[in-house]
Amino acid sequence: MAVSDIAASDIVETVPSALLILDRNLNISSANRAFYQTFRTSPDETEGCLIYDLGNRQWDIPALRTLLESVIPHRASVEGFEVEHNFPTIGRRTMLVNARKIFRPGEHDGFILLAIEDVSEERAARKESNRNWQVTQSIVDTIRDPLVVLENDMTIVTASKAFLTMFGITQAEAYGRRVSELGQHQWDVPALRNLLDKVLPENRPIESFEIEDDFPGLGRRVFNLNARKIMQPGNHAHRMLLVFEDITDRKQRERDAELLTNEISHRIKNNLQVVVGLIAYEIKSTSAASVPGLKAMQARIGAIAQLYDLISQSSRGGSIAVDAYLNEIAKQMSASLIGDKSGIEIRVKAAPLAIDPDRAVPFGLLVNELATNAIKHAFPNGGVGHVLLAVEQVHDDIELVVSDDGIGMQGKVVQELPEKRGSDYVAIFVRQLGGTLTRPMPEGKGTTVRIRLPLLLLPAGGAAPLAA
Amino acid sequence: MAVVLVVEDDVFIRELAESMIQDWGHTILSASDVPQAMAHLRSSVPIDALFTDVYLKAEIHGGCDIARQAILMRPSLRVLYTTANRITDKLHTLFAVGTHFLPKPYTEDQLGISVRNLLAA
Repeated sequence: MAVSDIAASDIVETVPSALLILDRNLNISSANRAFYQTFRTSPDETEGCLIYDLGNRQWDIPALRTLLESVIPHRASVEGFEVEHNFPTIGRRTMLVNARKIFRPGEHDGFILLAIEDVSEERAARKESNRNWQVTQSIVDTIRDPLVVLENDMTIVTASKAFLTMFGITQAEAYGRRVSELGQHQWDVPALRNLLDKVLPENRPIESFEIEDDFPGLGRRVFNLNARKIMQPGNHAHRMLLVFEDITDRKQRERDAELLTNEISHRIKNNLQVVVGLIAYEIKSTSAASVPGLKAMQARIGAIAQLYDLISQSSRGGSIAVDAYLNEIAKQMSASLIGDKSGIEIRVKAAPLAIDPDRAVPFGLLVNELATNAIKHAFPNGGVGHVLLAVEQVHDDIELVVSDDGIGMQGKVVQELPEKRGSDYVAIFVRQLGGTLTRPMPEGKGTTVRIRLPLLLLPAGGAAPLAA
Repeated sequence: MAVVLVVEDDVFIRELAESMIQDWGHTILSASDVPQAMAHLRSSVPIDALFTDVYLKAEIHGGCDIARQAILMRPSLRVLYTTANRITDKLHTLFAVGTHFLPKPYTEDQLGISVRNLLAA
């Protein structure tokens, strides 16, 4: 069957839109099934009736009158004429009306074909969407931190007032632009672009990305960027929320604190240099017997100073990573091993623990004394050897182990004065830390000193280690 | 024996370092700031090594500036920095390539090792 064989009435009955044919007097000549179903009426009630009288005059709608009496007489067709009306039978409806004049050959007056599409649900959904968007925009505007919502092509859908102020632009100017195009393109940073590119496809949020810049509306600021994917129920399109947290004041406080810490550290260590220098002058004029004790004193002052950098960082509220702390002690001691002691290697083996900053100095000095003793007594004639500084957690205690592969105890009990004093210091530091010292024991080759300390060390992660 | 230019703004610390270096048989040139150091470097006096504090009062990284210019003027010059400041990555980047570093406070033994290594390099 050819298309031309299909009756016009078949088409009229098939289309989903409600169709009405009116004569020149606006009486209804006919309607299709979709019309009767949509508006819950019948052919008997409809055909021959003036359209305005249909269904107890519920079609006497001012907008429809305007269309039929004022628009149609002057135009051959009208499309998308929107009529909203509260029908007693079917409730409030929004309709899109298309109208066309139809003339049969030889007829002068012709007919009017009205195609009526019920778009009520679509319009209601659009209204709801707009209302939701307005609520969202209101929330966005009340948040003090600047934020933007980006499409998946990284263009801006909407921006908060704080964001617009920050860049000195209007909502219209922001819409459709990429973040990388803002300002003088100073946000076109590869590292940021790479992070943003992963937020949507990989659902990988950006927790913090610091950026410092000059902003037209704010001046120089530091922002922490956070971004995450946002999804709307029933909507497959994904967008990204990008929040700019202003951390300028916090950064400035951190910088001021660091500057102050550095200044204090500089002064303290310069003063300690003077103290070490004063002792150096004493060494020049004192008896040979006193020299080892004075040099040991210099080493202890040096140990405090060298640890000071690590400890001073903890003054900003953090703890100190034990492995970094021991490595620093080992590095500084290794640098002092000269002559026949230069073959001695100091190694570190530390569990991932952090140390309480209040007890870092006695802990560091304790390690320094034990390591100094090991170097001195285990290798009296120098040569090649090893000293191991180890820390591990044993149940609820911390065990500090300083061992060597030197000559061992060899029954020595009485020590010369400076070394005896060193042992006294060890005992004092252990008491200060609330620990217990086991007698130095020969274990295999060499000597091992074990010290049990209460939990002065915190598990790593309990506080951010600053000395890594 | 070598000629060592010592740059240090603290008089006591400078004189102490100088006396130590002299005790080891070296000759000393002394400066407490950038202009004095540059005057020595611009002179015709042979200088083997520069031992400089980084922080020179008004000049936060004055020692680094001296070392940079000194190496341009005297490419074979050996450089040993010292500072009481914390050594940050940023400060490290200011040190010229092939130079040495000794943190404060240093003992005579530590300065001795550093100077010996510096002159042997």
